[in-house]
Amino acid sequence: MNSQAISRELALRIGLAARALPDTDAKRLLSVLTDCIGLPLTEQKIAGIDLNALKSAKAGEFADVDEPLLTHALSILKSGLNAPERQAYTDGDMPGSVRIACASNDGINVDGHFGSCSQFLIYQVSADEARLIDIRNPDIPDGLEVDDKNAFRAELIQDCQVLYIASVGGPAAAKIVKLGIHPMKLPGIETIADIIKQLQTVIAGTPPPWLAKVMGVEASDRFHFEREATG
Amino acid sequence: MALYIVEADCISCGDCEPVCPTNSITEGKIVFKIDAKTCTECEGDFDVPQCVKVCPVDNCILPLEA
Repeated sequence: MNSQAISRELALRIGLAARALPDTDAKRLLSVLTDCIGLPLTEQKIAGIDLNALKSAKAGEFADVDEPLLTHALSILKSGLNAPERQAYTDGDMPGSVRIACASNDGINVDGHFGSCSQFLIYQVSADEARLIDIRNPDIPDGLEVDDKNAFRAELIQDCQVLYIASVGGPAAAKIVKLGIHPMKLPGIETIADIIKQLQTVIAGTPPPWLAKVMGVEASDRFHFEREATG
Repeated sequence: MALYIVEADCISCGDCEPVCPTNSITEGKIVFKIDAKTCTECEGDFDVPQCVKVCPVDNCILPLEA
């Protein structure tokens, strides 16, 4: 039995990947994976699975599942989801940086709806550095009475200047904006790593005035930017 | 009798541009801007300035003379 045991991390990934698929629990995914690559399940063998193999395994158990969902589940399975390490940060460590919150379910992609995502990953991002400074669980603690779940969630990330989400409702967006957080709804699912890279390009270039403002760039310095930009 | 866009707050969403009845709003090099010469604050066309109504940011579009 011991030879068939899978690592804790792999088990976690299988659980997360199962959640990404419709009507699938870890057990069902496990049976498909077992049929696909045989026991024991190892990282190396899982890395070799492609979309078609997953679709045809166990007599086409997943044949009817949407391809983007399967691709997503595969990416979770294969990602070295080394539960990302939180890094220390004290205010003032990273001048010219911005704090962002990413609504996520899998911890890798910005795939969360504001009101239902399982976690907010908080990053401090500057032009040449990005630190994961916190992972916040938006579940309402037992025994705490909360009238407005979305306001509770918005307050949880109140220290962030920008929020990335896959989707958000109108009234919730208004509550986010009210707390001075700039919500960014992404047109599709993107990885957090890509989002950070894009943001860093913007920060390194000429950030738009609203971003420069939330980054704490003095108005006089911003004016300097403009003069250059207007040429 | 005109409005202006606070540059530091404008997020360049562009929502205001199509709703202006006098076509006074254009995208500038940095953010959107209002032509003070043609802006009527929507007087004669609407009860309230349309750009202020659609702007998602509070206090981003203000009257030139307070």
